[in-house]
Amino acid sequence: MQYLVKRLLAVIPVLLGVSVVVFSMLHLVPGDPVQMMLSEFQTSPEQIARLRAQLHLDEPLPKQFGRFLWNAVRGDFGYSMRTKRPVGAEILDNLPSTVTLALAGMVVAVVMGVTLGVMAAARQRSWFDSGSMLVALLGVSMPSFWFGLLLIFAFSLKLGWLPATGGGDVWHLMMPAMTLGMGASAIIARLSRSCMLEVLRQEYITTARAKGLRESWVILRHGLKNALIPVVTIVGLQLGQLLGGTVIIETVFARPGVGRLIVNGILEKDFPLVQGVVLVGATAYVLINLLVDVTYAFLDPRIRDT
Amino acid sequence: MFHRSSPRDPFRLLALGMWLSIGLSMGLQPLRTWHGHMFTLAEGATRVSGGTVVVGLDQEPPNLDPHASPSAVTFQIIASVTENLLYMDHNRQLQPWLAESWEVSADGTAFTFRLRQDVKFQDGEPLTAEVVKWNFDRIVDPNFKAGGALNALAGYSGTEVLDTYTVKVKFKNSYMPFLTYVASGVLSLVSPKAVQERGEHFGQRPVGTGAFTVAEYVSKDHVTLIRHPDYKRTPPWGEHQGPAYVEKVVWKFVPEPGTRVTTVETGETQLINLVPSQDLPRLEKNNNLRIAAVPWPGVPRILMLNVQKFPTDELAVRQAINYGIDKDALVQTLFKGTGEVAYAPLTMGMMDDPSLRAFYPYDAEKARQLLEQAGWKVTTGDGIRERDGKKLTLLINNIDYGGGPWPEAQMVQAQLQELGFAVTIKSQARAPWYEDNYKCLTNAPVMFLRAGDWDGLYSLFHSSVIGANFNFSCYSNPKVDALLEQGRQERDATARRQIYLTLQRLLLEEAVSVPLVDERSVWAMRNTVQGLKFNVFAYPVLSDLFLTK
Repeated sequence: MQYLVKRLLAVIPVLLGVSVVVFSMLHLVPGDPVQMMLSEFQTSPEQIARLRAQLHLDEPLPKQFGRFLWNAVRGDFGYSMRTKRPVGAEILDNLPSTVTLALAGMVVAVVMGVTLGVMAAARQRSWFDSGSMLVALLGVSMPSFWFGLLLIFAFSLKLGWLPATGGGDVWHLMMPAMTLGMGASAIIARLSRSCMLEVLRQEYITTARAKGLRESWVILRHGLKNALIPVVTIVGLQLGQLLGGTVIIETVFARPGVGRLIVNGILEKDFPLVQGVVLVGATAYVLINLLVDVTYAFLDPRIRDT
Repeated sequence: MFHRSSPRDPFRLLALGMWLSIGLSMGLQPLRTWHGHMFTLAEGATRVSGGTVVVGLDQEPPNLDPHASPSAVTFQIIASVTENLLYMDHNRQLQPWLAESWEVSADGTAFTFRLRQDVKFQDGEPLTAEVVKWNFDRIVDPNFKAGGALNALAGYSGTEVLDTYTVKVKFKNSYMPFLTYVASGVLSLVSPKAVQERGEHFGQRPVGTGAFTVAEYVSKDHVTLIRHPDYKRTPPWGEHQGPAYVEKVVWKFVPEPGTRVTTVETGETQLINLVPSQDLPRLEKNNNLRIAAVPWPGVPRILMLNVQKFPTDELAVRQAINYGIDKDALVQTLFKGTGEVAYAPLTMGMMDDPSLRAFYPYDAEKARQLLEQAGWKVTTGDGIRERDGKKLTLLINNIDYGGGPWPEAQMVQAQLQELGFAVTIKSQARAPWYEDNYKCLTNAPVMFLRAGDWDGLYSLFHSSVIGANFNFSCYSNPKVDALLEQGRQERDATARRQIYLTLQRLLLEEAVSVPLVDERSVWAMRNTVQGLKFNVFAYPVLSDLFLTK
């Protein structure tokens, strides 16, 4: 419990730091942010002044920051310049799709990664081992937009099995999830393999084998359980990465989501939108890490004591 | 026939209120099969009611409110949702639409429209003179952030309701382009009641008088239009009275070009826009598909030459650049099938004249001569010309949408380097691109403008818009200003054409820009899609569209 409180308190300065960075964004970019935001529109000096006042840019910086923080805490990130809708509503509209994609990608990554890793470890130095590690290497190295286009070429254009665009039912989710999960699965596969190899060298495994247990039972019951602890950490961290990875996947597969929201926001110089998405994204990342740490402590009591 | 747009489109913005009219040929051809640039009705095809057409669109609009949007993509989607007082046909002749008749006052400052009396918005509200007044007042309201619509009402001084169905729109000065603008999407009419009721959601679900209603808007995914069952009229381009044939049109946002092309090949979509030129040859060979290439009206893909910055402040240098760029090569390589050589600040579809075509034939030798005569000589081994110790440099300003410099900018760079220029491309995001242009900091911004009226040139070359949108040549010439102002006031069509012809010749003599490519809006569609038409602004109109088995 004490550990949890300690960790929770540690989150506060991190989030405060993030807010400072996000807040400064508007003031650090070269040029007048208001004019930039309005560059596409025919504007009068009055309109520029009005927008400046609307964004409270005419107030002293500390006051602006205070207002920014207070609004952010209440989930009020202002209005998108481009769509004129509340940024919070824009994020909420797009979040479910991104979370679904990240989770589906995670499922792909864990199932593929752990299976490949464990099987490779169990057959160390076999052709399967080398083959699966080669696949893992490819998975880490291949840019996801390229892999996504390859999948579209194969499964949509040539075979006609799956739709090329990613908004809709579970069939629309398959290729984006595979693309997203590919990179993470490679990392998980390599880690599972090395952890598994280490565990398989332990004496209790030798003991289990000596008792005459079936090899599959030894690996799954005695080996896997112990090998998974470091994997959990990586899975958690990867979830954060996957959320970030959705940016490209959503564009390639024309899927709605926060990734595309922020890409459009950046291109359109939609400051309130970008600020809101970065803040929400950073908070999510920090919370996921917190969750991983706590889970880790739960799985391995030694962590709690240190 | 049909035409094109740019491979990375996004200049929608530049459209800023200007897509007004014009349209070039094409479009509105009744059902036919595709012959070169003409559609003919497929043999045996009968008009079927019902079905859903899924369209793959390259980008999501900022919103669908015709008065608030600065983006052309809005009008791709809503061209059959909202309607206008007038309609401009493919001969650029005005036709009645929601107004039965109209009159222009002798001094060109007042426009009186007599409305049809049977028009209702999709929410049941009747169209009256009050509603027209409310629409125009809304656009100029300082509390409303208007998009391109505001430009279209330059000098607006108010609207007078003469009776329930007669309305008079007034301007401070004679303003003839208004007739083109009042026939274009930015001044299409929306329901005041819906604006009030829907509040911030109106931008996603606008209500007009057209044959389709916006049924659903899913952010980052799609917009669904449903035919309006109570639509009773024949639209001006239409061939039948009453509701549209197809039940539903789904506009799906598919930004990645490769993915978009795949969807029409697999049938996941039936129609896509912005077909990349490298995919065209393959799609043209596909027996299940047809291509439509619709000319964009307005200003071509163009290099503006900054007359305030060294060395483009020198006429000989600007002329040398005009002679030294091989536009044919640009069209044959990068724009094959999606554009044609441009000759003047307005596209050839807007105004074609032999005198304009004759100005700057590609002639690298002449370009070199001009530079030599002006004292620009190659003296060192690097091949870069110099004069009085100063190198002949050129800074191209290019918008980067994430894919690096535009290929046409790179090709221009290569061609000018051959002539002895040291060319640098500044490739940057849109906002700093604008900033540099407002401050006249680079030699040559690359841009284009979708404009329906010749008056589009006003926003490019009038001295009052230096430091604003879009006089990026930073060019000030009293003769040009006078012609632009006369063009706005001239009521006689022939005289008006002469004004803009004289103006374009003057601009070409002064070499304040390099027109590169007249672009086309290129669409690919399944053979099952029949009856698709494009209006004079190159936007698709849907009421005659139907699906065959």
